[in-house]
Amino acid sequence: METLFIDFFQNTGFFLCDYRNIIMILVGMLFIYLGIAKDYEPLLLVPIGFGMLMGNIPVFKGLGLGIYENNSVLHYLYLGVTQGVYPPLIFLGIGAMTDFSTLLARPVLMLLGAAAQAGIFITFLGALALGFTPHEAASIGIIGGADGPTAIFLTAKLAPTLIGPIAVAAYSYMALVPVIQPPIMRLLTTRKERLIRMEEPREVTKREKILFPIIAFLLCCFLAPAALPLLGMLCFGNLLKEAVVTERLAVAARTSIIDSVTILLGVTVGASTQGDVFLTTKSVGIFFLGALSFCIATACGLLFAKMMNLFLKNKINPLLGAAGVSAVPDSARVVQVVGQREDPTNFLLMHAMAPNISGVIGSAIAAGVLWSFMS
Amino acid sequence: MYGLESIAANNGWAISVVGVSIVFTGLVLLSLSISRIHKVLGLWDNRNDIRIFRKKPQERSEPAPLPFTEKEKASARQFRLLVKIMDDPFSLQRLLHLAEISGLERPHSSLCHLIKVRIIEPDYQGDYFFNREAFDRFAS
Repeated sequence: METLFIDFFQNTGFFLCDYRNIIMILVGMLFIYLGIAKDYEPLLLVPIGFGMLMGNIPVFKGLGLGIYENNSVLHYLYLGVTQGVYPPLIFLGIGAMTDFSTLLARPVLMLLGAAAQAGIFITFLGALALGFTPHEAASIGIIGGADGPTAIFLTAKLAPTLIGPIAVAAYSYMALVPVIQPPIMRLLTTRKERLIRMEEPREVTKREKILFPIIAFLLCCFLAPAALPLLGMLCFGNLLKEAVVTERLAVAARTSIIDSVTILLGVTVGASTQGDVFLTTKSVGIFFLGALSFCIATACGLLFAKMMNLFLKNKINPLLGAAGVSAVPDSARVVQVVGQREDPTNFLLMHAMAPNISGVIGSAIAAGVLWSFMS
Repeated sequence: MYGLESIAANNGWAISVVGVSIVFTGLVLLSLSISRIHKVLGLWDNRNDIRIFRKKPQERSEPAPLPFTEKEKASARQFRLLVKIMDDPFSLQRLLHLAEISGLERPHSSLCHLIKVRIIEPDYQGDYFFNREAFDRFAS
């Protein structure tokens, strides 16, 4: 009986526990706290946080419980991440809930989304300089796109062993957009610039909205075919929304499909952060470079907006440049908040949605470009 | 390998420059094309005002030659004689009146037939004229 008890005890989490599991459980609890108490991206941080708790319960290897064991349930769910299935489905939902009107009304703002993607390539260089392999460097650089699904998709293709740290870094920084971006925005703009008012956008017709996803898909995918899975689903989702006659499908894409996939993605990415796999020097480097990437992307967007103002007759508020990172719609909301701190009657949200959405398209193209270069 | 050496060895500079260029090109092209959508749609909506899209007016097709019986041919020749004594263009009422007083058979019906095959044609100013070519083709 004593032996039985000892055997049982040796299989419990208390016995198998490692300090790294404890650290990751604390990080998971922090994520849950930030999501619930601070309302920072709760739809992502709560599933990821709870996934961290699930992934860091120390289990006896061979029972088929851990996410890295071939026959475990979590492993099967994790296949959606490693095989790049979940990100395009999330893009389908994003497409079905996004209104491209502001982008169509003022297409020049699309350039801000392109400028912010420079952060991806600058970080790619930084990661190479720090000794990461080109595949790892490309996966780290894409964090600067501030687009979780894109980062996961590219990492699954190029550096699958880094999915955990890169996904957690990408989603953490996305959740921390309201903390990271405002100081950079204030640093790189003057008060006078932050007070600039945008002119009213023109009204966009239904036919333009229907044509946009088709044109965008054909044009971008002919240019960067590797962006097909992400951009294809994004544009298809948007076409379902705008076509009206497919409203049922659009509703399914933007509610049940995206919600189910977000749950599966969040939990499995969280569970992939097992202490022994996650807490490595590489992960620290990824977090450092991820933050750098995010800051550079924000700065590039802001500086490009200022540069555009040198040539534009109707000046644009350079704060919009910060929305070029594709954290939809958080970075657009941050632009609105920072703009309204200077002038409470200045409404920048709808204008900021244009670079924000073009950032999504831009980061998907960047991911496709990096994937095609590396493969 | 670290630093600039690692970047150069892994072709980092070229990948970054080309990558940024492709992203920019893609979004600039997209931006240019969507900035033209409403104009293209506007043109399409008003395509009838544009010459190249305007439908060409259908050319008047030649009437299919109606079979002329010998009787009708004779009637046509009689009308021709009546027209000869009138000014050109002439009044249709006057021609009809002359046909009636000359005792032509079924003048209304005959005249109608001649108009259908354009032996007698309107000048679109209220009068009519005699089309010699059509007469030669159908009734001579």
